Amino acid sequence: MTTFLIHNIAPLMFFGLIFFMLLGYPVAFALAANGIFFGLVGIELGLLQLSLFQALPDRIWGVMSNETLLAVPFFTFMGLLLERSGMAEDLLDTIGQLFGGMRGGLAFAVIFVGALLAATTGVVAASVISMGLISLPIMLRHGYDRRLATGVIAASGTLAQIIPPSLVLIIMADQLRQSVGDMYAGAIIPGLVLAGLYALYVLLVTWLRPQWAPALPIEARQLNGTDAGSGTMSLLVLFVIASICAIVFAQTYQARALDELLVLSIGFGVAVAYVLALLNRLLKGGLLSTLTEKVTFVLVPPLALIFLVLGTIFLGVATPTEGGAMGATGALVMAMARRRLNFARLKEAMDSTAKLTTFVVFILIGARIFSLTFYGVNGHVWVEELLTNLPGGQTGFLITVNLLVFFLAFFLDYFELAFIIVPLLAPAADKLGIDLVWFGVLLAVNMQTSFMHPPFGFALFYLRSVAPVKAYVDRVTKKTMAPVTTGQIYWGAIPFVVIQLIMVALVIAFPQMVMVYKDAPAKPNPKTMEIFIPPMDAPDDDLTRAFGGVSDRSAIVDKSGKSREERAAEDIEKQLRGK
Amino acid sequence: MPHPAPNTNPTRPLNAAPPLLAGLMKVSAGIDAINDRIGRSAYWLILVAVLVSAGNAAIRYLVGDSSNAWLELQWYLFSAVFLLCAGYTLLHHQHVKIDIVYLRLSRRTQLWIDIGGTVLFLLPMAFIVMWLSWPVFVDAFKSGEVSGNTGGLTLWWARLLVPVGFLLLLLQGISELIKRIAILCGVLPDFAAADDVADDVSDNADHAAKALPP
Repeated sequence: MTTFLIHNIAPLMFFGLIFFMLLGYPVAFALAANGIFFGLVGIELGLLQLSLFQALPDRIWGVMSNETLLAVPFFTFMGLLLERSGMAEDLLDTIGQLFGGMRGGLAFAVIFVGALLAATTGVVAASVISMGLISLPIMLRHGYDRRLATGVIAASGTLAQIIPPSLVLIIMADQLRQSVGDMYAGAIIPGLVLAGLYALYVLLVTWLRPQWAPALPIEARQLNGTDAGSGTMSLLVLFVIASICAIVFAQTYQARALDELLVLSIGFGVAVAYVLALLNRLLKGGLLSTLTEKVTFVLVPPLALIFLVLGTIFLGVATPTEGGAMGATGALVMAMARRRLNFARLKEAMDSTAKLTTFVVFILIGARIFSLTFYGVNGHVWVEELLTNLPGGQTGFLITVNLLVFFLAFFLDYFELAFIIVPLLAPAADKLGIDLVWFGVLLAVNMQTSFMHPPFGFALFYLRSVAPVKAYVDRVTKKTMAPVTTGQIYWGAIPFVVIQLIMVALVIAFPQMVMVYKDAPAKPNPKTMEIFIPPMDAPDDDLTRAFGGVSDRSAIVDKSGKSREERAAEDIEKQLRGK
Repeated sequence: MPHPAPNTNPTRPLNAAPPLLAGLMKVSAGIDAINDRIGRSAYWLILVAVLVSAGNAAIRYLVGDSSNAWLELQWYLFSAVFLLCAGYTLLHHQHVKIDIVYLRLSRRTQLWIDIGGTVLFLLPMAFIVMWLSWPVFVDAFKSGEVSGNTGGLTLWWARLLVPVGFLLLLLQGISELIKRIAILCGVLPDFAAADDVADDVSDNADHAAKALPP
């Protein structure tokens, strides 16, 4: 019995964890208690030293001083403020008008706005709820297929998870010990391609089943053709003018790097369009149509926020964490300026942010306590052997891992996947020579499905909470509308889950989509420059990573101040290694 | 002996609590009030952290200079939020669980899982971490440990946050335990029923709160 325990303690621990978590007690505490329980068993069996637990406060200190994790409350707070600011409502109204005239137009508008919101913040709930409240009733009113309408809303909202600045990417970067900037740069193309695939699917539907996605009748589009010629023509002209200005600017400006040039010239083009629209308003609308003016005004706030967050990150002005803080400040100012924010709503936003941050960080603390024991009993060696011995080398590994994550995503959400599963996968991926940024983006695309899986996908859950449960009378047509059934939401999600899986395959097949991050020269960043990676020989390094990794920020501190714990931790690692 | 059923119906009259349980329920209510007060105060630190972080980046860009104290202050505030809100988050049932199986169980079994989890998982874990992290604080306090970064801050009060946070969590665990027992004995109305009602009337903010998500 004892021999069996000693030889199989790692697998026992892993399956014990699954059992504890399935019981339905909060994951964070099940993880931590599992770590402590098996740690005691390990000490009893002589596998571990009593000093193992002395490292516990250091694990927690490492989580506290992890600057990357600060991005979690910042981006969450930003997303909640944006939801309250009414920006999404304005966008959907106007862009819906713009695209409404074509078949499937409202669905395209949802994808476009979903991608735009995704680029401003990383919060799925905010996008899905806003779009479910605003676009869903309009789509139902005009006879959209309910499965298509709900699926496209949930999927477009989920784009917030893959298009930077997404929380998934930040946490993935932290767990894989890669730079968040690289992860962002690597995820841009896959994110946009995914949005493109959604649009392609809608296009296919309008072609095969036109009755599923009808165009809006003219009376539903008040903005079009009211003055100054056809509305869209004038918009096209403005777009061309702005693009030319941006290109001219790009030709003349001496930028140090490509991404700086991109950020600044796009910013310049947007500014030109905005000034023209502003002039038009002052001149009482001789130049541009109402539609053009409205579209320009409605696009400026999200673009300004994108600049504030992604622009400052790519320019090297702010770290990703500070980008989140900038975005939150911007969203705060915008919500106040629009008088959409009162004291009670601000408190709600902070309250929700605090609770989210706490449970996320506690899952991480639980995972670190778990890993302290799990790696102590060489659990990582067990997992690594399982994974590196898979047939098919890199491809076999990637396919297996992606299938594993896909199935785990049915019942784990991405925080749990990222904190528990990813640290186990990373050393094996590294050993097989897989680029970890590519690996991270790949997993992030895959984890999109965890939001869309019936029956537990978060995006579906949010949509369910705002979609009509009972028959209702439409505000405009006065007709009684049937409720949206849960079955419709589930069926609607399936084509989009399939598209996400196709995207996973595409990222495996075409790593170039991600690898472009290497082309952008590393920018000296005031903060990352200080980062000091403690020199370690190879086996130590593996073990350190296994221990949950020393975050960049704690490395800064450790370099100079807290070498005491760092050394203590190393001592313990050495003891463990001796076993 | 037949067990009394948990009272899941808010309109059903409650059993009278035996004196010991009545006393414990007072303790539980006191803990809830403390954690609620602390949580509601601590969440303001998020706003402070946002402003400090954004301000620091802006000033560094404009003036080309910044202090490590501002950088460190950010994660001190962040740590204060999640440690001081640990009990608060538990109080509001916001620590995520995997409820595939849980939701299919009877309310009685659910309560027993909560009780078992609290006694076997939460309380020992919170106690061990608190017990191990206290000496770390004492060391830091006695030695006047200061961060090694130039212009860094004094560290002992950040070290103090760990045992305090886990103490709050421990206390809240005890309070949750008392409440579960009281519900099982039918002397306290089941909050699960109240949670459902809250869901029905919730607005966006509540969804977002649940949300939590990403």
